[in-house]
Amino acid sequence: MSYARDVCIVAQWEFGRFFKWRDQFVSLTLFLLVSVVWAGAALVAGASGRTVTIALAGIEVPAPAGGRLQFVPAAPDDRTGTDALRRGDVQGVLSRRADGAFELLVTKDPRYRMELMVLLEEVVRRERLQASGVSSQALQRILAPVAFDVRFTNPVRERQGRAEKIAAGFCIGVMLIAVFISLANLLTGITGEKQLRVTESVVSAISPQAWIDGKVFGITATALAAVANLIVGMAIVALTAQFASGFTWPAASLRPGVVLALAVYTVLGLLLWNSFFAAVAATVSDVYTSSRSSLLFLPLVPVVLSIAVLRDPDALVARILALFPLTSAPALPMRLVLSDPGLVEVSCSIALLAGAVWVMRRMAGRIFELGILLYGKEPTLPEMMRWAIERRVR
Amino acid sequence: MESAFLRAHGVSKNFSGHVAAERLSFEVRRGEVFALLGPNGAGKTTTVRMLIGIIQPDEGHIDIPGEGPARGRLPPDRTGYLPEDRGLYQEIPILRSLVYFGRLRGLDGRDASSRACEWLERMGLLDRKNDRLDALSKGNQQRVQFIAAVLHRPALAILDEPFSGLDPLSQEFFLDLVRDLRNAGTTVLLSSHQMDLVERIADRVLLLNHGREILSGSIGELHGRLDTRPRLRVTLERAPDAELLRADPDVEDIAGDGPDLRVTLRAGAQTPPFLARVVSRVPITAIGTDAPRLHDVFVRAVRDDDARAAGRMA
Repeated sequence: MSYARDVCIVAQWEFGRFFKWRDQFVSLTLFLLVSVVWAGAALVAGASGRTVTIALAGIEVPAPAGGRLQFVPAAPDDRTGTDALRRGDVQGVLSRRADGAFELLVTKDPRYRMELMVLLEEVVRRERLQASGVSSQALQRILAPVAFDVRFTNPVRERQGRAEKIAAGFCIGVMLIAVFISLANLLTGITGEKQLRVTESVVSAISPQAWIDGKVFGITATALAAVANLIVGMAIVALTAQFASGFTWPAASLRPGVVLALAVYTVLGLLLWNSFFAAVAATVSDVYTSSRSSLLFLPLVPVVLSIAVLRDPDALVARILALFPLTSAPALPMRLVLSDPGLVEVSCSIALLAGAVWVMRRMAGRIFELGILLYGKEPTLPEMMRWAIERRVR
Repeated sequence: MESAFLRAHGVSKNFSGHVAAERLSFEVRRGEVFALLGPNGAGKTTTVRMLIGIIQPDEGHIDIPGEGPARGRLPPDRTGYLPEDRGLYQEIPILRSLVYFGRLRGLDGRDASSRACEWLERMGLLDRKNDRLDALSKGNQQRVQFIAAVLHRPALAILDEPFSGLDPLSQEFFLDLVRDLRNAGTTVLLSSHQMDLVERIADRVLLLNHGREILSGSIGELHGRLDTRPRLRVTLERAPDAELLRADPDVEDIAGDGPDLRVTLRAGAQTPPFLARVVSRVPITAIGTDAPRLHDVFVRAVRDDDARAAGRMA
């Protein structure tokens, strides 16, 4: 029996074990339901929005353009406004005290407070301008921001830049979500197999390396499929938002090479972390009492380090992070969209990352080979390192 | 054709200074049932794990005659393995699990599925093929585990403690299964500490203690080592004068309290004259014999080995 056949059988098994079609369908249906409810609520709220009427007691406020507020004049005495309030003709009575402060008389908490505040601020600003003798046109000129435009030699690149930044951030996010989904599956799956004593039956049939490789491929595929389902769900919500709010997505385009590189980094980064966590999981007997839980946050470290790339994508540290296999999965995509790393750098970075995946899976295979049959006391980190380095340890 | 299926040549294994197996050499012949016997901690499971390739010997090697050294593991498509630590996926339907293990042993999915259904039918579990494993009783789970070990019709089935944890009826059922395997031409290597079951099924045995071989041979050869002195269980009407009975020329040993005695006669002694002498002193109310058992050979060999080891330590 061939190694490749064994890996395929295990990968299929792990995918089938962890990817629950029914659960994914339910989650997609929930996304759809939330979207429908959201869109429906937005439509109903737009159609049945109540108008708030406020009596202006002896003062003048310009009528708002749009919105739910409307003003009616009222006598400046307390009784007229209070009577109208009691009868329910108005929801508030607005007056102004001698010190210039506005006062709103209500029977319940005014949910339109912020809307009203904006209008009153405009009233006060106009009063102050008139008092100081500065025209509103003059004030607008003083406060206007500096005009500054960035013009690309290739205008297409401007649109791509924006879209690619979003895509890079999206891929890093996808990788992190997929890493944590995989982590959960690897930990529960492998420790479960140890607790159920399934391990001996399997390693008597196939090599531990084929088993771990199949597991890593299967669980990676499971995580990517789950994330793809999540993306479809989010797309449904986004389209609903577009429909409900009238928002229009800006035109954007992505370079095919960048899309390919982002996909390669996402998959390789995921394989690297999954190999590492498969080895760690093999040394854990009980996931709830294990001292290995501190290792679970390791995938966040490269992402945090890669923030340096955002500050200066061409700095030496950014170039190093983009080449170093443990950080390149988040760092190079950032450099790719913020700068122009060139084909040689991207190729070297991908080759190094692929090499690291290969080394990691070999080391993980050796740790897995021993750890999977070890019950009770967990091995120390130096022991795990020794297993990973030694060629034949059984 | 070579009669040996596999041979172990001086295999040893240490775990942190503890000797689990010490220079073991033996062969398993084609078509036989070969039993590794020994008390708990004797090194049976370590030996089985070395044979199957899950752990590697520190010294010595295992080879398959005609094919050379096993290179770490026996060919998985020709070997079936029932581990001592039983385990299958609890939350997964039985048939799906069996097909998975069949595929890992070289079957294609369809073949694995049809063979699994045949076995499940034989075990009376076909109607439960889509149930989760944890919905079955422990005995039925053991049956499913057995199917997983032999589904691919291995030439060699290695069964580690196949009878442990089973009730007497299930033990009989598994004895029949092992007999059927042998009748179908499968070589069976099993480990057990239950000599009374092993002697009913095994052709040859290797007795281990503290990782060492202390006895080996065919069941016939072991029968030759049986203590054939007559042993009687005698119940008297009242407690006898024990000293008078011990003084009888045919008596080797007497054990027991009051009127219930266990008497071992000297080799060659005749039982009727001895009983006649007893009756002349005290009336006998019940008589029985203790047949010699391989179990006693097993116990005596282990005790002798322990005593020798204690002597060496002293």
